[in-house]
Amino acid sequence: MMQFFRGVVFSVFALLFCLLFPLHLVAAEGQEYIAIRKEGSGNIALVLDKLDAKGRKETKFAQSLDVTMHDGLDFTRLFSLISPPLNVKEHSDRNSVVINFPALTSVGAEVYVGGVVTMKSDTIILDMKVYEAAGSKLLMSKTYSGTEADLRSMAHAFCADLVQLLTGKRSVFGSKIVFISNKTGFKEIYECEFDGYGVRQLTNSKSISMNPVLSPDGRYLAYIDFSSGRPALSIRNLTGGRTAVVGKSAVSIDPGWRNSNEVAATLSFDGNQEIYLVNTDGTISRKVTNSKSINISPTFSPDGSKMAFVSSRNGLPQLFIQDLASGQVNRLTFSGRYNTQPSWSPVSDKIVYTTWEKGGEINIFTINADGSGLTQLTQNCGENKSPSWSPDGEMIVFTSNRQGKEKLYVMSAKGGDGRILLQVDGEQTQPSWSLFR
Amino acid sequence: MNSVKPLLRSLFIPAMFFLGACGCCEKVVAPPPAAPPPPPAPVIVLPGLGDVFYDFDRSDLREEAVVQLKTNANWIAANAANNVIIEGHCDERGTSEYNLALGERRANSAKDYIVNLGIAPARLKTVSYGEEKPFVIGHTEEAWAQNRRAHFVAE
Repeated sequence: MMQFFRGVVFSVFALLFCLLFPLHLVAAEGQEYIAIRKEGSGNIALVLDKLDAKGRKETKFAQSLDVTMHDGLDFTRLFSLISPPLNVKEHSDRNSVVINFPALTSVGAEVYVGGVVTMKSDTIILDMKVYEAAGSKLLMSKTYSGTEADLRSMAHAFCADLVQLLTGKRSVFGSKIVFISNKTGFKEIYECEFDGYGVRQLTNSKSISMNPVLSPDGRYLAYIDFSSGRPALSIRNLTGGRTAVVGKSAVSIDPGWRNSNEVAATLSFDGNQEIYLVNTDGTISRKVTNSKSINISPTFSPDGSKMAFVSSRNGLPQLFIQDLASGQVNRLTFSGRYNTQPSWSPVSDKIVYTTWEKGGEINIFTINADGSGLTQLTQNCGENKSPSWSPDGEMIVFTSNRQGKEKLYVMSAKGGDGRILLQVDGEQTQPSWSLFR
Repeated sequence: MNSVKPLLRSLFIPAMFFLGACGCCEKVVAPPPAAPPPPPAPVIVLPGLGDVFYDFDRSDLREEAVVQLKTNANWIAANAANNVIIEGHCDERGTSEYNLALGERRANSAKDYIVNLGIAPARLKTVSYGEEKPFVIGHTEEAWAQNRRAHFVAE
């Protein structure tokens, strides 16, 4: 009995030690300022203060920048945005301002962001400063400039620098999402910025377009186009305007880029539905799969060495991973009877995919490439399809009919509530987030 | 589903012109509007081209599909001037990429059967529309059963 008790006490201490130790390790290693948080714990508590501006124009631009920065930081879900306390700035004399750090820490702020907008002839100058609230230490001071047309990109350039500073990672600012919309009565391809801003129609084929996906460098758009009367893989050069169509007969299905020079897709010209690697000029580089069953939806590990895909080789559609060098294939999913639409995280070994479940729901799951860590991200909200990672791997864009029509939503890669991305007529489907930003 | 109506209309209107223009000719086949087996239109003298239907998530042929495909093969043999397009279709359930693949397998299973009956493969083209062009709009098993088909079109 005593021994059992001692064993329990030891286990508890061992467990506590394991839980605490990694935190100390991180804290001791931190040379630069990186907000240290336990995985899954709260966001960075941030005060984004109203930008200072003198003059009518400056004040107007400052307000616009304020809104864009606030919405941008809010979109990342990395921050808890705290309203600035009333006494955050104290005027010591007419020209200098002192930041009241005790007031900031008393409202729980970890980081304080403030800035000034001035003008030099027609150029808008934005001086931004970032402080650690507890130590009143200046973490970043940076100037952004541009014209009125650049306000949005100036605000986002600062947001990107702030995220990089506080998390050590690049963020989503500057990235794009391509998707399908049937707004015109035809399924055409559209693009918008990461936050749904600036929707632009990219095709006008008055046919059916499917599965658009941008190359990692943003120079090419691969998609399936029915203009010729059959679904054909099309690769549009977005800088030159030329579109290569894979000239082989039969059908093409669901392209996925391996890198900026090679896109994989299913081509069935030899009678079987096999995945091939295709060059950007539409010529075939090589055949990847070799099975008489359905093989579709290739998606690649960040280093391009492994490919996850859907195959019906065991009957029902399941996910498999193929090592490109050795050709070795392993089955990845064993839970669920209809697993499709894999997308490999651009920054990790996680793969997101959908399961069509018994009750008719389609739900989004993530799984590690070794088959561990199966996690359900959506439930009780209809059909949730076509998940695609943000370039930083923090968020997932997908389509859902949770409110009736199919619309695009963005959620954290850890799950939770999805926020609707954009309000456009018709149904929006098959979103794909760019890797560039 | 709004995208579907103009597509259907664009198919239907030329089909009507075609029917009107050659109402006296035996080759004409109307696209079957209803459940299997499709009711023959009065203009057809020879047994025409009929569509065949599939079970959920399957591309293998049902018994009545085999009967219909024999009829279709006879029509194709008797109408040497016409080539035929076999379109594979799926119901709206599941995911669209998989359905595009499944639709092609349905078209191919119908084609393979007809080729085995002695029709030259060069006369038969296949295509898949997956779940993109449903024949019946609806979210019931009745609608789904109508949409899981290989649709025969004479060129």
